[in-house]
Amino acid sequence: MRIAMIGWEYPPFKTGGLGTHCYGLTQSLAEKNVSVDFYMPKTKHNACSNRNNLVIKEVGETDIFPYDRPEDKELAGQFFDSVYRYNDLVVEKVKGDYDLIHCHDWLTMKAGVALKEKMGIPLVLSIHSTEYDRSGWLYPNDWFIKIEKEGMDKADKIIAVSHFTKRVIVDKYGINPDKIIVIHNAVYPLGEREKQNIVLFLGRLTIQKGPEFFLKAAKKVLDHGVNTRFVVAGMGDMFPNLIDKALDMGISNNIIFTGLLTEEEVKHIYRIASVYVMPSVSEPFGITALEAISAGTPTIVSKTAGVAEAFRNCLQVDFWDTDEMANKIISLLNYEPLHKTLSKEGKLEINLFTWDTVADKTISVYNGVI
Amino acid sequence: MRLNRFSVFNIHADNTSPSNYFNQKLNYDIFEKVAKKCYIPTNNLLLNLINDFDGKFRLSFSITGTFVEYCEQHIPSVIDSFKELFSTGAVDLIEETYFHSLSSLYDDLDEFEEQVKMHREMIKRIFNYEPRVFRNTEAIYDNRIAKKVQEMGYNGIITEGTEKILHWRSPNFLYKPVNTNLKILLRNYSLSDDVGFRFSAHNWPGYPLTADKYAGWMSQVDGDLVNLFMDYETFGEHQWIETGIFDFLSHLPGEVLKHDHLDFVTVSEAIDLYNTVGEIDVPWAISWADEDRDVSTWLGNDMQLACFNELKDIGRKLKEKGDNDLINTWRKLQTSDHLYYVSTKGLKDGDVHAYFSHYDSPYDGFINYMNILQDLKERVI
Repeated sequence: MRIAMIGWEYPPFKTGGLGTHCYGLTQSLAEKNVSVDFYMPKTKHNACSNRNNLVIKEVGETDIFPYDRPEDKELAGQFFDSVYRYNDLVVEKVKGDYDLIHCHDWLTMKAGVALKEKMGIPLVLSIHSTEYDRSGWLYPNDWFIKIEKEGMDKADKIIAVSHFTKRVIVDKYGINPDKIIVIHNAVYPLGEREKQNIVLFLGRLTIQKGPEFFLKAAKKVLDHGVNTRFVVAGMGDMFPNLIDKALDMGISNNIIFTGLLTEEEVKHIYRIASVYVMPSVSEPFGITALEAISAGTPTIVSKTAGVAEAFRNCLQVDFWDTDEMANKIISLLNYEPLHKTLSKEGKLEINLFTWDTVADKTISVYNGVI
Repeated sequence: MRLNRFSVFNIHADNTSPSNYFNQKLNYDIFEKVAKKCYIPTNNLLLNLINDFDGKFRLSFSITGTFVEYCEQHIPSVIDSFKELFSTGAVDLIEETYFHSLSSLYDDLDEFEEQVKMHREMIKRIFNYEPRVFRNTEAIYDNRIAKKVQEMGYNGIITEGTEKILHWRSPNFLYKPVNTNLKILLRNYSLSDDVGFRFSAHNWPGYPLTADKYAGWMSQVDGDLVNLFMDYETFGEHQWIETGIFDFLSHLPGEVLKHDHLDFVTVSEAIDLYNTVGEIDVPWAISWADEDRDVSTWLGNDMQLACFNELKDIGRKLKEKGDNDLINTWRKLQTSDHLYYVSTKGLKDGDVHAYFSHYDSPYDGFINYMNILQDLKERVI
């Protein structure tokens, strides 16, 4: 089986779950003797493969902005231009004897649809997030929605990262549910280090990820007299605003903003954090939760996050319920048996979330369309 | 028994008091629902059956003080109907701890003894009767408990007929504890669970279970007696009326009595009628819960042990202080349900735990219960 996979990012360059997913999936597919040509935009970092039947093909010279919705109009304009340019280039460059096209999210959908028509082979589309998620359900942009809907309509099969996302695809984009297969994400376990007194937020600092709810909960924990440090790791358009908020709340002494972290730093902070909080307003899956749990870090996630429907040994809250979020953070810090049990059971359950399984399920989707 | 949502911010807060611990409304709603679906219709049916069969249909009840309090406070007619059943002479009563507690597993057995005495007084007050047979919470049993129960004057004790203690032997005889003189009645879990768990299971080969089929199975059993013990809620609650459970029950006495060698006896009659055939040695506690048939359902993980230890510590301090209101609250908090909700077994091997829990997860169960225990603890100091 030969697959042309159209991606957007791949380690070492990645800004979100999409890159992590593509890496895990392509590695395990290659292991199972599926040949994959992975197309992606050329970046400063050189992505390469260590396997014969997995080839990374970098296309074009575009300077890429992160997978994001830039607030700045000019920046946004450049970003969309580069996405278009990339998609056009991909349509030109993809040549060969492929059985199907597999593409990921709106960033690659135009190319996917064009290639399907040009080459007359099936199209599989993975949805890692929709415009509704990225906008936090506030003012979703029709321009993206149109691209997404076209891709979903044309795709032969759609892979959704959660039942939550499947419902969005059905309800908001009017897609036949029979065309959508749910495949939950996986993780390469990180392993544990000695824990420090740190409560961690890690993600893009955007409305979607709910960092302001993390700050509100932090304030309540600190007001309760619990002495701990809160780390906000990541970058995004809310960054300056969040710093102001922390100052206004009078908790800036206990909050550390790290900015963007390297991959090694990310692993390190997962390992030493005592609690990980993922208060996303809208989260199709939430691979970061699996990463934290795999480092033995008890994790609090939004009830509506995709990971919450699949993973049992984590705590769940409504993202807006910062009282309950604080209750759970304090309980994890104060009640050692709770921390220990969640850490232990979480690591056991993580073993069920392997890329090997994801690849098996993906292959059966492939077999269904060829 | 259900608790209110209680967060760390409620601990020692100005507006909280121990009366906030329990979700009175929800507990009452559940009680009322089960009374209508189960207690009232089943009691009526049993009374008719006893009368129809002229006392040949006989049975025994084990009722906690907590249950009686609910009846007295909310639907006193339920108690009246138990009294009426008892007055037929075909019904026996079994002793247990007043609260559905794990006090038999504490380091010393003072609290256990007190709770048994409370139950004894309650049964005396309502039924003017002194039970001779004891059944512990969830049939929890070990040598130490057996010895204590014998010392308190009982003649018999009920526990689970598990292979763990029987090995190759049959549950259908009386046994005696290795360390004391008492008659042990062992639950025939296979036949009991055919009704309690499997009655409405379509994929079970025995389905549909009819009274004559069931009586036929019992007639083929070797031994002196078949102990059928089940949750009362089997009738109308675990097995809904639509499953035909009440039809089954109403035909059961007639079908059983068709077999010449079968009859019904109460637990007190059983220990008078039969002799023990062997000894049972149980150094580590067993119960009738889950597949494991031990106490891991309540004390199986670190969170449960932490709550249990906290509960014991608070009790010691409370008794030194001698605050009766708080002691009563503490005893309600000993109800084993609170620890059951903290079990992580349900996350792996079955959904029974999840079905009976009102928490999102055992972790939420722990946080809530532990927060309440911390609040109670602060009140003792």
